[in-house]
Amino acid sequence: MTTHHSDNSELSAESMNEYVSVRIGDQLFGAPVDAIREVFAPQSVTSVPLAPSEVAGLLNLRGRIVTAIDARRRLGLPPREADDAGMALGVERGSEIFGLIVDSVGEVLRRPRAELEPVPAHVDPTWRSMVKGVHRLEKELLAVLDVSAVIGSAGASKEAA
Amino acid sequence: MDDLISEFLMETAESLDVIDSELVRFENNPEDRAILDNIFRLLHTIKGTCGFLGLPRLEAVAHAGETLLGKFRDGELSVTPPMVTLVLQAIDQIKVVLDSLEQSGVEPAGNDAELIARLEDAAMGRLAEQPAEEAQQQPENWDSDLGRELRPGEVSLADLEAAFNGAEAEVEAGAEPTAADAAPAPVEHIGVGEFDPDLGRELRPGEVSAAELEAAFADAEADPAVAPPAVAEVITKDMSREEALQTAMAELKGADEQVAGEGGVKVMATVRVGVDVLEALMTTVSELVLTRNQLMQTVRGLEDDDLKGPLQRLSAVTGELQDGVMKTRMQPIGDAWRKLPRIIRDVSTDLGKKIELVMDGNETELDRQVLELIKDPLTHMVRNSADHGLEMPADRLKAGKSEKGTIKLSAYHEGGHIIIAISDDGMGLNTARIGEKALEKGLTTHDELERMTDQQIHRFIFAPGFSTAEKVTNLSGRGVGMDVVRTNIEQIGGVIDVTSTAGKGSHFSIKIPLTLAIVSALIVGCDEQRFAIPQLAVRELVRVGAGSEHTVENLNGARVMRLRDRLMPLVDLHDVLGVGEAYNGNKDETGFVVVLDAGGRNVGLVVDNVLDTEEIVVKPLSDSLRGVHAYSGATILGDGSVIMILDPNGLAGEIVTAMEEDASEGVGSAKAAEMANTQRLLLVRAGGAEPKAVPLALVTRLEEFDPSTIESTNGRLVVQYRGRLMPIVPIGSEIRTVEGQRQPVLVFAENHTSIGLAVDEIVDVVEERVDLQMSSDKPGVIGSAIIKGKATDVVDIAWYLDQSRAGNIQRRSSNRRRRILLVDADAFARRMIAPLLAAAGYDVTPTGGMHEVLAIAEAGEKFDAMVGDPSALSRIRQEGLWPDLPTLAVTDWPEDAQAEGLTAVLPRSDRGALIAALDSVSQEEKVA
Repeated sequence: MTTHHSDNSELSAESMNEYVSVRIGDQLFGAPVDAIREVFAPQSVTSVPLAPSEVAGLLNLRGRIVTAIDARRRLGLPPREADDAGMALGVERGSEIFGLIVDSVGEVLRRPRAELEPVPAHVDPTWRSMVKGVHRLEKELLAVLDVSAVIGSAGASKEAA
Repeated sequence: MDDLISEFLMETAESLDVIDSELVRFENNPEDRAILDNIFRLLHTIKGTCGFLGLPRLEAVAHAGETLLGKFRDGELSVTPPMVTLVLQAIDQIKVVLDSLEQSGVEPAGNDAELIARLEDAAMGRLAEQPAEEAQQQPENWDSDLGRELRPGEVSLADLEAAFNGAEAEVEAGAEPTAADAAPAPVEHIGVGEFDPDLGRELRPGEVSAAELEAAFADAEADPAVAPPAVAEVITKDMSREEALQTAMAELKGADEQVAGEGGVKVMATVRVGVDVLEALMTTVSELVLTRNQLMQTVRGLEDDDLKGPLQRLSAVTGELQDGVMKTRMQPIGDAWRKLPRIIRDVSTDLGKKIELVMDGNETELDRQVLELIKDPLTHMVRNSADHGLEMPADRLKAGKSEKGTIKLSAYHEGGHIIIAISDDGMGLNTARIGEKALEKGLTTHDELERMTDQQIHRFIFAPGFSTAEKVTNLSGRGVGMDVVRTNIEQIGGVIDVTSTAGKGSHFSIKIPLTLAIVSALIVGCDEQRFAIPQLAVRELVRVGAGSEHTVENLNGARVMRLRDRLMPLVDLHDVLGVGEAYNGNKDETGFVVVLDAGGRNVGLVVDNVLDTEEIVVKPLSDSLRGVHAYSGATILGDGSVIMILDPNGLAGEIVTAMEEDASEGVGSAKAAEMANTQRLLLVRAGGAEPKAVPLALVTRLEEFDPSTIESTNGRLVVQYRGRLMPIVPIGSEIRTVEGQRQPVLVFAENHTSIGLAVDEIVDVVEERVDLQMSSDKPGVIGSAIIKGKATDVVDIAWYLDQSRAGNIQRRSSNRRRRILLVDADAFARRMIAPLLAAAGYDVTPTGGMHEVLAIAEAGEKFDAMVGDPSALSRIRQEGLWPDLPTLAVTDWPEDAQAEGLTAVLPRSDRGALIAALDSVSQEEKVA
């Protein structure tokens, strides 16, 4: 499908990256489409006392319990307004589903893979560990999220095991 | 691995388990044909499948075993224990080969010739004492090594034939009374003619059918007159082979009790389904239930009759579906017991004990996951009972018991739980020996032991690393004892207990939840949030505060509640989870105490509210939350909201931590709350009208001197006291002597020297929680606290002591307080020492272990001295942290401690000495 819509015939689907654009704080991020299971509005998130701070809580997504991870806290940004629930990216990791809470979700963007640039070296190390690269858009920069790194080390260690 | 092989492995493992226990039953009831037929059928199936799959080694062993069994079946050999042992050995050998087959996917190389030879010899009767029958056996078809030559397809045909031959032979010989009743005609009439070719061709691993047919014949013999025509009518050509067979079987058997009895062959239409499929189904159904609940709630508000009918039906069907899916997960507990008869037989053979195993409640069903988890603990316990519990036959006779010991296993349902009891009529637990061992292991003290009931002492067997067996036998006592059993059972939310009477036997009871997936839970409220507590852990609920006889009381800062004349420790869920405001304990505020069984102890958990009980589906936590021990999982309630499930055992851990945090809060942050725990304080008046407080623990004696005896030398006040001169320092600006009134002095003894603090008046001794509200810049004052409702200065004794020694006022400023690193793995010791040091004017950082110490060292914190247990301090020395600091070890056994590298080793009981030593080392440091 997508290949037909491509206006530039030179760029086949293989050479294009597709991102769900999300906003976290003031920054525009792109989450690779194939890493995202779905996008949903988090509702009635149960907070979990004693949990690591980046765990925003648990929520019920059609009968499955989803661990909500607050992207702002992971990126060291100030918390959202209390009445703003944000949006969530559903990410499947093994048999578990995580919900990555972001401020808002925009359209799906397609950028040529070749245009992905490495993260500048002087960017904060916390960010650098969670951002795979940068695309230059017309008006601003699109930071490409390493979704599984944002979800957290707990999940990654399981994969390694 | 080949699908076929893995299926074969699974099926065969089950069959072998059955054979194990059936053989033991058979040994006791050699006349029972049904058992033997069952064994024969199973082994035959294994043999046939091996042939089909090309597993010659297994096939050969199975064949030899089968041949021997065939002799039993044909009545040519009589059943003796050595014979049965031999067959069991063959079964074991098959298991060994299967194991490596499972691991490697191929049959391991090896030779079973010796075992096969023995089996064959036995089949020839050489093992049995009936050589006469040997000759009789030779001409039989059985001996002609059919097994080895067979190709997959042929096996069934040949064996079928053999089976027919056998049946005919029996009948002709009239050897068996039952067989005699069976006329050959009906046997053939069953439709062998129609079936035979079919079977021969179609058979897959399927000698099953042939064997089942055999079994069917055996049954037919019992009731030949009725069965055959009936079968002929029922079986139609449309039916698949299996269906036809099963129909035949069912028809032949009817409601035949002989077969349908315990352990008999049951013919049930079964389908093998992967566990993951069931799990997925379970999840889907849970989701459906939740959706239904939401729908019901939405519709409840509407008066729409059109919706109500269908919705009710949807609700009912959903409920049925849920029950049905739940049932698929249930298995009879007999599955976990299947190996036990064999184990008991081996034990009794090995040890020369006579043991009868009685099993009751085989049919009791529980979740397969739970079943898997209790299998090993149960086996271990039964083994234990046989090995340690039951006496040797001679000893039993001496004790006036029957020679044969009995181990009884029973299982039954009780209110959402399953109770499993294991009892024996052996010698019972050796109370004295357990007591000694407990003392040896340092689990208790003589005093405690004396006050304990027998049952309390018996419970030590569940303590970690406890094993009373004098020698390690082959069977048990391999280092894993009852503590492992207990741990396993607690892991699945169960509890275990023991009662035992000397000479009469022991009785273990285990209470476990029916299923791990669905748990009955108590929903409690705490700070606007709801939490689930598994009902199994809840002993009772108590309401406290308004309108209740129970109140929350304080004991040295720890909360307790009186419950039936006992003090029960209380923890507030708010504190444990660090949310909201803890229950304040006011009489007019209502709170609830959930009495929990946390690791065998009663602990009261204070919550705001008890809301409901609900059947909840336990969902595991994601990795990021698994580290939080307070929770065992999460669940979705009927209204769709997610709540956390509290883990009582984990909570117990959190409780201890919470208590420790309380203690360290009291001393850690010196600025805000220095001494959170209650202390005995001496209230004095000196240098002003407002009272001052001195921690009583630091005061050695209270004395009164005649003002005229206080002399002044070299600008310092001294008094002659016990043959020495004791310096006197006034609290406040000066000593205000009143004529004719004696001067009260607080005496502090330190390193053989004494120092007196002169005060105007000793007012009172109070026990109060010291909560320093303001720190002070004034020299000699730690800060202010509210004591007995009045703002009171707390005196910095250390400052005065130093002053008296230095002889002048040039002293460290009170802003620069000396910092002490306190290291002690024992939380209680930390709690005891930390406030003491804090009260003496030190800034204390308590730590529990090396990791904390390392973290502090990394943070670059500086200290003036270290206090703690000798081993911890030595380790810090080894790590080379703070190399120049004075280290003071505090221990209960100062004489045992290695003083190497330590500044001093002091007895824990002497608080004064510790303070004095600290004062002196920090003094030295200052001089240096």
